[in-house]
Amino acid sequence: MTTPTLGSILLGTSDPERLRDWYAAALAPGDGGGGFIEVTPTMFAGTFGDTSLLIDGRSDVAGTNPEPGRVVLNFHVDDARAVAAHLDSLGVTWLVELEERDGGLFGTLVDPDGNYVQVIELKE
Amino acid sequence: MVAGPPVPETPAGIGRRARLLAITLESRAPDRAAAWYRRALGLSEAKRLLTAGGVELRFTLRTADAPNTVEPARIVLNFHVDDIRAAEARLVALEAVWVRELERTRWGIIGTVLDFDGNYVQIVEPAPDSPSCLQRREEPR
Repeated sequence: MTTPTLGSILLGTSDPERLRDWYAAALAPGDGGGGFIEVTPTMFAGTFGDTSLLIDGRSDVAGTNPEPGRVVLNFHVDDARAVAAHLDSLGVTWLVELEERDGGLFGTLVDPDGNYVQVIELKE
Repeated sequence: MVAGPPVPETPAGIGRRARLLAITLESRAPDRAAAWYRRALGLSEAKRLLTAGGVELRFTLRTADAPNTVEPARIVLNFHVDDIRAAEARLVALEAVWVRELERTRWGIIGTVLDFDGNYVQIVEPAPDSPSCLQRREEPR
């Protein structure tokens, strides 16, 4: 058996369209529809690098994540300041605004379901 | 010749899509949580980084009270494998807790277990005709 790959991360949500639209606008700008495909009427899939984000409409999760820090999605970008400016233009909610730390630029924002999403630009 | 509709301008610097390169998992015992992923899934480790197909798993100490995930269906990690029976045998040998035993679905064969902290982890052997974004990708070189 070869080593497993993390093929996708599934986000369970009570409002899949809202979550898909947010990830498309926030992290795949300029890419038609965010590159999401409709897998089923309540499930959408978009690829971000070597893995995919599956957004799945479910009835067994509440509107807001009760434990948002338990799992954090880390998105790496080429130009974090440009991405942060773009995210500001969308009116996103920052948990921690973009800041310089050892290793690069880091910022944490909150998606519409309350999940934490980190934006990272590592130094070369 | 008729001009096409204007193409929306992409803000400078974000022409490329963001890459989901890491997942951070909070745990009551990060070392044990990482050990669970190594043993349960046979993930590769180099320079103390645990990776699965180009995505790194990071573990941090959870300081809040609830030991186990309250809503495990909220975020689910789907590990794609090329031999689901071998993956299942490894999990059985580890006495993993099964939420859903292996089941053939339209997307492939899928089973769900709980990780050390009660998160849902799925093993998936994708069906050949499932959408490309749900297919197994080879480990990046």
